[in-house]
Amino acid sequence: MEPTGGAPGRTAADPAADVLEKARVLAEDLALNTVKAWKQKNPGMLAIGHLPVYTPRVMFEAMGCLPVAVFGAGEIDIIKGDSYFQSYICHIPRSTVELGLGGQLDVLDGMVFPSICDVIRNLGGMWKLMFPAKMSAYLDLPQNFAWGLGGRFYMGELKRIAAETEKRGARPLTEEGLRRAIKAENARRRALAELDALRREEPHKARASEAYLVARAGGVMLAEEHEKLIREFLAAARKRTGRPMDNVRVVVAGSFCEQPPLGLIKTLEKAGCDILEDDFQLGLRMIDGDIELKDGMPALESLARAFTERGRDTASRYVPDDTKGQALIRRVKECKADGVVFAAASFCDPALLDQPMLEHALTRAGIPHTSFKFAENTGQFQVIREQAGAFSDSVRLWGGQAA
Amino acid sequence: MAENTQLTAGLDAGSAAVKVAILRSQAGNHAEVVATSVQRIRRREVAEVCRIAFAEACQRAGVQPTAFDYVASTGEADQMDFAHGHFYGMTTHGRGALVLDPATRCVMDVGALHARAIKVDERGRVLGHRMTSQCASGSGQFVENIARYLGVPLEDVGALSVTAKKPEEVSSICAVLAETDVINMVSRGVSTADILKGIHLSSAGRLARLIRAVGAEGTVLLTGGMAADKGLIAALKESLSEAPSKKKDAAVTIDVHAHELSPLAGAVGAAALGAFRFDQLRRAGRWDVLKGAREGAAAAV
Repeated sequence: MEPTGGAPGRTAADPAADVLEKARVLAEDLALNTVKAWKQKNPGMLAIGHLPVYTPRVMFEAMGCLPVAVFGAGEIDIIKGDSYFQSYICHIPRSTVELGLGGQLDVLDGMVFPSICDVIRNLGGMWKLMFPAKMSAYLDLPQNFAWGLGGRFYMGELKRIAAETEKRGARPLTEEGLRRAIKAENARRRALAELDALRREEPHKARASEAYLVARAGGVMLAEEHEKLIREFLAAARKRTGRPMDNVRVVVAGSFCEQPPLGLIKTLEKAGCDILEDDFQLGLRMIDGDIELKDGMPALESLARAFTERGRDTASRYVPDDTKGQALIRRVKECKADGVVFAAASFCDPALLDQPMLEHALTRAGIPHTSFKFAENTGQFQVIREQAGAFSDSVRLWGGQAA
Repeated sequence: MAENTQLTAGLDAGSAAVKVAILRSQAGNHAEVVATSVQRIRRREVAEVCRIAFAEACQRAGVQPTAFDYVASTGEADQMDFAHGHFYGMTTHGRGALVLDPATRCVMDVGALHARAIKVDERGRVLGHRMTSQCASGSGQFVENIARYLGVPLEDVGALSVTAKKPEEVSSICAVLAETDVINMVSRGVSTADILKGIHLSSAGRLARLIRAVGAEGTVLLTGGMAADKGLIAALKESLSEAPSKKKDAAVTIDVHAHELSPLAGAVGAAALGAFRFDQLRRAGRWDVLKGAREGAAAAV
């Protein structure tokens, strides 16, 4: 009896098995072997690490650097990292320190800490003290999005960090180099958009856990190579012959910085949830649409305007009133989701401060929602499975109404 | 078959066995259990056991795998390629208990590895639940281990237990300590029946606390593999007849019993919910979301 239908990716004959394995190896490459290989192949070139949520990777690519996403250490034991932070601080700064002190990040020539919260800002300061020989830059992303204020400020920040990177041996940031890098970045973004569309339209062909691996693999690759990987997965996933399951369609929100363990995403899927949209790798999708290159407009301005004018309404951006709630409702409606699962990292202030407002907006709109917290090293998912299973059943059978 | 009658199957993979129930019902109501199948897993791959059990149930019912309006899985059978949908174990046990006894307002599900009391309303919606912690001393696996140590076939455990004259209770906290207690009892020459009754009383004490904690009143239906153990049912009745520790529980009447299909309650509930869901989707004109599932079921078995 050969399985022929149902959820894909679980049989030896799965056309996407090879590309998913490739993505898994890249996504779990904590030793940064891929980066070491890249540097060997490109002597003299720099590898620049960056933390979540959003760093304009394209600028570093334009300068001949390999931007490397340092998005935590998953399930490894944290020993040294814990001694640097209080117990009521999230997990990602601990694991980043653990990786740094453990030598796994030695291959990086510098680190960029984009502004997301006080904890990451403090981590940036600590990094300067811990690794004085390496470049350590704090990227202050604007919270005022008027071009004359926040836009100009952001341009200044990008120029400052570009100059700092150049001092360390990177190629100068040129108009031509940035335009070429933006084109590659736009191509990657279109591939990601296609992947997101496939997930929404045929979630049984591209599961969220698979899309997560494919997206996260891009953290150690240039945009052009990542686009190829995404397209390879897309081609394979479209060949799958599976059929849809009677699952609940959900949007997952709140996991934009510290990343959930893969097991957690799979647990949600096993509990009967088709995750149509999420913010796991938000940095890659932070800007809506392309970074528009216009004649007569410097490419750096295009990059800055894309962020200030078309950045996503998320917890790392200050957006007044009920705008974020309405944006979430719009996303739920666009992907025809039945409900929202809030999955925030424990002690993640940006996510947990936004959550009540978002929940309130959903409740007013009659959209069912549930919430739980995790840490990147969470290893037991039984409680989450029960909660997600109960939510899934409640939405499908009773329309999300409490009994 | 009338248009408003559905033929559905429920597939429940537990820790020790896979259970399948085939149901004919009207959106889960007026249900008739057409056929069942139980397969012990015995170190085999769960997915393979699920296929065998499903095929066996289809054969017993005399129906083709393509004949089902909805095949629903529950428990660990969450990746079955021939199922239309998966429901959570608590939801299916709640609904299954109502199919078996419509008066049920609380389900005491005792499986191989855990036990949980589930309070339900008249539609089977879960109102609340209490579950054992990670310790296995209130579960079927524990009873199975003790039976093996004592050299008693599992099917004889209940019958022997109810003949006990002077039972000795064992540790109700830890399965490891309880096993030590049992070894001591064997050394002291305590009879097998008394040891088994002691085990049952120990487990029943924990289960009674869960039932009271969830706020159960009226009919409590025992489900899961342990519902077939007469010794446990007798011990649970005894435990619940004792004066409760909290005053507020004194006025509460609880009637606990099992149905002959109680071990299959999860599968029965999954099948009933499958029928409910099929009807719901058909009314909403959304049945096409599961297009191709019948062909999938045919190919799978």
